[in-house]
Amino acid sequence: MRIFSGQRAFVAQRLSALVLLAAAAAAALRLAFGVAPGFERWQAWAAGAPGSVILLVVAGALVIHAWVGLRDVVLDYVHVAALRLSLLAAAALGLAALGAWTLLIVARHALSHIAV
Amino acid sequence: MRRARRPVFLSLARIRFPVGSIASIGHRISGVMLACALPFAPFALERSLSGEAGYSAMLEAARSPLGRVVAVLVAWACAQHLLAGVRHLLSDVGVGASLGAARASAFAVLIAAACVAFAAAFLP
Repeated sequence: MRIFSGQRAFVAQRLSALVLLAAAAAAALRLAFGVAPGFERWQAWAAGAPGSVILLVVAGALVIHAWVGLRDVVLDYVHVAALRLSLLAAAALGLAALGAWTLLIVARHALSHIAV
Repeated sequence: MRRARRPVFLSLARIRFPVGSIASIGHRISGVMLACALPFAPFALERSLSGEAGYSAMLEAARSPLGRVVAVLVAWACAQHLLAGVRHLLSDVGVGASLGAARASAFAVLIAAACVAFAAAFLP
C-alpha cells in the first residue's frame, strides 16, 4: 500500500522520530534530575488533558515508527514471499493491537477521573 | 575482453566492517530489540495506573535483579537507537556527512550508548 511505503514512509519515520526524540529527552531529564513522581502525581498527570494527550501522541509515534522500521528490516532480510507476508502481517496486527490497547488504557483512565 | 570474476563468495572474514557500519547495524539491532520490548509497555502502563499497589509493583520489578538487566539492555538499545538516529538525521541534512566526521560521530555514538547502559545499572 502506497501510504505505508516510499517517501511517505520515509517522512513518517522521520517525523515520528522527532516526536520520540522529544519524549525521550524529557524522560531522560526527569530520570536524571528527579525522583520517581509517586503514584498520586503519576496517575493525576496521566488522567489530565496534557498528560493523556502526550501519552497518546507518543504511543502513536511509537506505532508508526516501529512499523516503518520493522517493515524495512523484513523487506531487507526476508526474501521468501510467504514468510515475508506473514511477518509483515504479524507486525501490522501486533502494532495495531498495541496501539488500540494503549488508547483504551489511557481513555479509560482519563474518563474514570473526570470529576462528577 | 575478459570480465573480471566478480567476488560472488560471501566470506565474513573478507567483509570489511568499519566503525560506521557497526553504528549502522547497531541502529537496526537496537531497533528490533525495542520493537520486541514494545508489548510490555502497555502492560506496565496499565499496572502502574491501576492503583498504589500496581505502581509500586512496577517500580519494584524495575529494581529487581532481572529488572536491572532488562533496564540496562533497554537503556543501551534506546541510547544506541536514539543517538545513531540523530546521527542519521543530521547526515540527511548534510551535517557531519564527510568521511572523517562520520567516522568520529559513529565512534562517539557507540561509546556514548555504552556509557548510558553503564549508568542505567545505577538508577535509584
